[in-house]
Amino acid sequence: MSEAVLRKPAVLASVWGGRKARPDGDRSAIARTVIACLCVALVATVIFSLAFGASDASVVSVIKSLISGTDGTESALSVRDRIIIHDIRLPRVILGALIGASLAVSGAVMQGLFRNPLADPGIVGVSAGAGLGAVSIIVLGGTVLAPLLALFGLYALPLAAFFGALVFTVILYRVATRRGQTSIATMLLAGIALGAMATAYMGVLIYVADDKQLRDLTFWSLGSLAGANWVKILASGPLIALALVISPFLARGLNGLALGEASANHLGIPVQRFKRIAIVTVAAATGASVAVSGGIGFIGVVVPHLLRLVIGPDHRYLLPAAALLGASLLLIADAVSRTIVAPSELPIGIVTAAVGAPFFLWILLRRRGILDL
Amino acid sequence: MIGVSNLSVYLGHSKIVDDVSFEAEAGAFTVIVGPNGSGKTTLMRALSGDLPYEGTISINGTSISQMKLWQMASMRAILPQSTSLSFPFTVREIVKLGMTSGHSGASRHATETLPDEALARVDLAGFGGRFYQELSGGEQQRVQLARVLCQVWQPVLDGHPRFLFLDEPVSSLDIKHQLIIMQIARDFADRGGGVIAILHDLNLTSMFADRIIVMHRGHADSVGTPTEVLTDDRILRVYECALKVGGLPEVSVPFVLPQSAML
Repeated sequence: MSEAVLRKPAVLASVWGGRKARPDGDRSAIARTVIACLCVALVATVIFSLAFGASDASVVSVIKSLISGTDGTESALSVRDRIIIHDIRLPRVILGALIGASLAVSGAVMQGLFRNPLADPGIVGVSAGAGLGAVSIIVLGGTVLAPLLALFGLYALPLAAFFGALVFTVILYRVATRRGQTSIATMLLAGIALGAMATAYMGVLIYVADDKQLRDLTFWSLGSLAGANWVKILASGPLIALALVISPFLARGLNGLALGEASANHLGIPVQRFKRIAIVTVAAATGASVAVSGGIGFIGVVVPHLLRLVIGPDHRYLLPAAALLGASLLLIADAVSRTIVAPSELPIGIVTAAVGAPFFLWILLRRRGILDL
Repeated sequence: MIGVSNLSVYLGHSKIVDDVSFEAEAGAFTVIVGPNGSGKTTLMRALSGDLPYEGTISINGTSISQMKLWQMASMRAILPQSTSLSFPFTVREIVKLGMTSGHSGASRHATETLPDEALARVDLAGFGGRFYQELSGGEQQRVQLARVLCQVWQPVLDGHPRFLFLDEPVSSLDIKHQLIIMQIARDFADRGGGVIAILHDLNLTSMFADRIIVMHRGHADSVGTPTEVLTDDRILRVYECALKVGGLPEVSVPFVLPQSAML
């Protein structure tokens, strides 16, 4: 009895206050509860996203339509609404969920890898690398890189972005990490240099691009889920899915790495091999997302940070929770972006940056100490 | 047994450890002493498998160059000088990381309570729910020791002795906790495991160690029991400081030796 009285406020404090764990410091029960809640939240967000938009359909009719399938004759929806939901909103929702999950997970993995809560593909130039790969294909796909396009078809764009992200991640790691210790200042400065480098090369490519390519590039670079369709899901989905499937296997290594590279080795974790897998995973998730949706910032830094406050940094729980929360948040951001100026729509990157950047500043304010290392 | 023969370690181009040979038996508490920069920590890092080396290092007869990381993890645990974290782990979560390798040796039933038991051993009972980053340096050091103890909880597993490598385990501790930690190491050795520790405090060393290795300019200057090793001549030569073993201060100056503790 007294134990229950003692513990309940601690659990509540951990959820609302974010600073207190249970008296014995075991947060796995809280983590499991949070993950279950996030599952429910994601399902709710998906249904809401399908029903909500410039053309409204009722939530109930959407659920009925989803269950009965595309050819359900007794569907509660009009033909027009069915087309909107199945061919426009459903691919967009699936892609949004995949991208949100992959951005959040790649942020969490990268932060674990660099032992640093500020590491995020968007901030340290990895997204810029992916962007450079993607822009190269968009602009040079008709000429110099035509053989690549012919060989890989619709996979050329995500693969090029993946490759760009991979090269940039490896360079960043080489520059910022010495003898297993990552310097935060070096990492952020190297990220600035890499970002500038990518922007410069992209500038050259934009200079030689024609008008149609320019328009594609502009919308792409602002970050948008508009134009989501089943073909894009087919192109980028496999890489993202692969990264999401691999990520849980990184949890044990990331937990060990929190103690430092040497101590992780001493615990029996093959750190070198593990780091290579983690870098490829981050590059795959970032590259595939950037290829489809351009630069959607801050999901990768905001989501893991929020979750660490509540469930702690144990990656066995953090990674799946980040995937779920990232997917939900991006869907909500997308719902905002496509309705706030309806019938037109705002690129989603603007929404996530408008909310995420101040949040990032708030993290910096609270944790300025970590930059003084 | 830890066997080291003709061990040389380079950092960059300079030879930090030069032709060191010794054996650290299971059941014994071996202490490495020596002035700053004499190669103690580099020697420890080579033993831990962190650095390339010349010569041979073996654990229970097997060269560590032929062992996989998980095999080494099941045979020895290493306490670093200090560990800083960038994420808000609770003390319990950190201690549980010691069980990552899965060879603690505790029974399945005891595994659940092992972190609490280990924390109680290092005099941190009830600290499980605290955040690691909010602890003092000495408390953090003891949390890390609890984690390391979890990794090799049973000093002997399947008939093979296991080892603790401690790099300055008492450097930021008060005298009470220095004694507690030294006693933990002593117990580990008494129950059949082996301990190798780097220490600066010659009194604690003399009080607890079975064998002392004196490092001097990368060489093992001498290896032996405290009585054999701690002599006026050697301390003068190695530490360049004219100390007198057993010498007492003026009558009016109070002095406190760890040996006077009522354990």
